Amino acid sequence: MRRVFLTLAVLAGFGFAGAVAVVGLGLYNVSAQVGHWPGVSWVLHTTFRNSVALRAPSMEDAPDLSDPDLIALGASHYATACTPCHAAPGEQRSATMQAMVPAPPHIDEAVAHWKPNEMHWIVENGIKMSGMPAWPAKERDDEVWSVVAYLAAVKVENAPTLPDVTGDTKSYCTACHERMGGRVPRLDILEPDYIAEKLREYRDGTRPSGIMAQAASLVPTGEMAALTTGFSGRATDRDVADVDPVLLGRGEELARRGTRDIPTCLACHGGDAANRRGPAIAGQPEAFLKVQMELWHDGIYDADPLMHAAARELTEEDIEALAAYFSRLQP
Amino acid sequence: MGARSGEYGSLRRVDGIGAPFFVLGLPLFLSACSGRQSALDVAGEDAAAISLLFWVMFGAACLLWVAMNGLFFFLSRIRPGQFPDRYVQPLLIGGGILLPTVLLAALLVWGLGLLPDQRAPGDGLRIKVTGEQWWWRVEYWPEGAEAPVVTANEIRMPVGERVEFLLGADKVIHSFWIPALGGKMDMFPGRETRVSLRAERTGVFRGQCAEFCGASHAWMAFETVVMEPDTFDAWLEAEAGDALMPVEGAATRGAALFLSQGCGACHTIRGTEAVGQVGPDLTHVGGRLSLGAGRMGVSTAGFTRWIGHTEALKPEVQMPSYDFLSTEELDDLAQYLVGLK
Repeated sequence: MRRVFLTLAVLAGFGFAGAVAVVGLGLYNVSAQVGHWPGVSWVLHTTFRNSVALRAPSMEDAPDLSDPDLIALGASHYATACTPCHAAPGEQRSATMQAMVPAPPHIDEAVAHWKPNEMHWIVENGIKMSGMPAWPAKERDDEVWSVVAYLAAVKVENAPTLPDVTGDTKSYCTACHERMGGRVPRLDILEPDYIAEKLREYRDGTRPSGIMAQAASLVPTGEMAALTTGFSGRATDRDVADVDPVLLGRGEELARRGTRDIPTCLACHGGDAANRRGPAIAGQPEAFLKVQMELWHDGIYDADPLMHAAARELTEEDIEALAAYFSRLQP
Repeated sequence: MGARSGEYGSLRRVDGIGAPFFVLGLPLFLSACSGRQSALDVAGEDAAAISLLFWVMFGAACLLWVAMNGLFFFLSRIRPGQFPDRYVQPLLIGGGILLPTVLLAALLVWGLGLLPDQRAPGDGLRIKVTGEQWWWRVEYWPEGAEAPVVTANEIRMPVGERVEFLLGADKVIHSFWIPALGGKMDMFPGRETRVSLRAERTGVFRGQCAEFCGASHAWMAFETVVMEPDTFDAWLEAEAGDALMPVEGAATRGAALFLSQGCGACHTIRGTEAVGQVGPDLTHVGGRLSLGAGRMGVSTAGFTRWIGHTEALKPEVQMPSYDFLSTEELDDLAQYLVGLK
């Protein structure tokens, strides 16, 4: 018995010494040219697939992925954040990217393998040791669905052409803020100082948003100030669809009078710019307003304690009514 | 035996020191009986009834205490071991069963008899009080009124009239208690309870939430001002009116700040654009005796402190501290609010 233990202890000692030598003396070759030993790739890839399948969110959490605004937003983000590795549909990945180990799959190949909820998990979490990064704003898994919507559209070959993001910085902003509704706000009704402040907050993470953090990080600091003025409204007015007048009435009552739990919105968001505390929200797209209210309600946005306190008691129906009311209110 | 006598000796010494302390300390204890938040410093009919019940019970308890200890002393020290058996049964039945039954039944009947008085119909004025975390929403409904006079954190009532209080609560249970005027009554979310009070002398009495209701329960109080009926009517008429428009520089700036900082989202100041319902109505806040539901007195310095450090002064309060405002801005706001008489 004693001999068995002794043998095991000696073997363990050799093993430990070997491990120290490999790590400490750099014996393991990390060259990407060498590749993995036979079987290792299979083990890694199978682990990857099963890990994603196990953790993917339920599709019940997903918004309507066929929403053209959502697809367009996802496409715009994809154009700057994802094309460097995965390429645009129908285009080639650069030779350098193809030389990565593991090589990032081309978008056409990537979407073929995964269901939407699995794509959501991958885009949100990234993949360890593969070069695939996680979503830049940890709390904003809601934004990830826009990219998933675009990828799902690519899968059925129904995706819009990617916007051209190679022009000047201003045209880069207007690509979304003047041509899209949905979750993208219009900027023409916002004060330049307010826009500048929010851009700073997107950059430093105070206002978490993966999409806007990516966009703001591409803007040279010197050009920031020039970006805060000179926007025009949306090309089309999207929120004119008929809506239940009872819902609208409830939204108006909440906005004007509030309740014993909910402060009046217009005390900070009404009136002229010089005399109000908050940004203009009248005329913003309905989907944008809804998402913003949910973010303040959930405390994901918390930089302004007043707005967080104001949204804390909002119910889902309150949010719907307020979004319907303010999106139809003339700016 | 020596050890035991030693114990007695030390006990006696303690008594010897304790007695003068007790005599000297008595006025200190008794001083708690007077004051504006004391059930023993009676200012109302209902408090008087409760107070009488208390003193009778207290007196009887003293008598019983003396009798029981006297009996014990007699049996253990004066005639130890000589209690005749034939007295045992009558004493047990008489003193242990009959006497407490009769006394407690009498107290119960007396006490229960006081209960209907708590809800005696009023003389006309009804005041609806809602317990919030941690302040009081107050509505005056004079007889025949179609809309209430809304105010907060202070009760005013005419002397000599029975006023009916309709009590409710927003989220958690509170309890409405003005000790100098009467008994307390719990306030429940979703249910209306009633209590009626009749003040017998004018003065200012303190009310306090008497049911633990969260972090700032102890800071949930209010002043009750009992006034001559004429003065009260004049006050109520003024209270029903809109807020005074400020005329002087700082207060005018404060009024503009009040709106531009969004204060009106939660507070109403009648006659202005501020129509929020979340927090206390501030239309005449400068005319009140306390600020922050009994937290501090009304003064410019008080308002400045309150607005700038709300969360420190009242833990877990819903109102955020406006610590981002400059000293000048806070002062302007305070000037405005203090002028809202």
